Amino acid sequence: MRPFAFVVFDGERLSADPGAPGRRLRVDSRCVEGERITGAFAHVCALPDRSAALRYDEPEVQQARRDALAWWIPLLGDAFVCLSTFALDASRCGGAVTVAREPSRFEDDPFTQLFPGTIVESDIFCEVPPPAGPPIERYAGAPWPGGRFMRP
Amino acid sequence: MNPRPGGAFPDVALPDHTGRERRLSELAGGDPVALLTSRGWWCPKEQRYMRELCRLQDEFEVAYARIVVLSVDTPEVQAAFRAGLGARFTFLSDAERRWLAPLDLLETTDTVQRPYRPAAFTLFPDLRIHRVYNGYWYWGRATMEELRRDMREISREIRDDWEVPAR
Repeated sequence: MRPFAFVVFDGERLSADPGAPGRRLRVDSRCVEGERITGAFAHVCALPDRSAALRYDEPEVQQARRDALAWWIPLLGDAFVCLSTFALDASRCGGAVTVAREPSRFEDDPFTQLFPGTIVESDIFCEVPPPAGPPIERYAGAPWPGGRFMRP
Repeated sequence: MNPRPGGAFPDVALPDHTGRERRLSELAGGDPVALLTSRGWWCPKEQRYMRELCRLQDEFEVAYARIVVLSVDTPEVQAAFRAGLGARFTFLSDAERRWLAPLDLLETTDTVQRPYRPAAFTLFPDLRIHRVYNGYWYWGRATMEELRRDMREISREIRDDWEVPAR
């Protein structure tokens, strides 16, 4: 499986069609390449503006990942479907998406510390086991928490 | 089954601290693992040791290695304990004590709680056992320095680019 797939965000809607209008963002491919969950809600902490980016190594981006492992995913409980940061290239982060079966906790999303959140109803995401922790580093540029180092 | 260095640790499948069923191999995810068995939240020695592990997690988080704790606490109790500690690693719950006997890790001197005996296993990504530590006495536990050493040794063996690749 590829380490990342693309979604497109236009500020209001998310699409898995890479040709859709909007900003192309890399996500953990496991989030969109499996059995899709219908009627889910995606909290998109990103902007359609192409200049809205932070480096993955910035302290606030590291801390948002720590918060996701420490309390954000446990807080969502059974509602959690999947989570991925948005990678733009080998070093920059365009935000994150958290997908849940209901949106009541989204105001607590730690990734809103990076970019404002937009709630989008979406059928394009799949259930993915939460990251095991504690790693917050990326694997060969894959959008955290996806990817792994492959052995020959 | 008596897990020993060089042998394979079983790919246990148990609920994590959120109640989701997880396999140990999935949690490893291709990285080395420090697997700690723990009496449970109520033991002062465990509370002390887990605080040490939480300091060490700041190194694991950037070093492509995993920490997993296995105890008989329920997922709800583990979630509360984990939150109180500030842990960002996974707890596995064997509240039904399915793996206690197969792993031969029952702490026989505690007939009330029937917990896991504190132990540590440092594992390769394929769950091959590197070292085993018997923590029945606190001083037998894997120190943070020993865990660092083991993670270094395993990483050196599994990372093909441990020696900096030539240009």
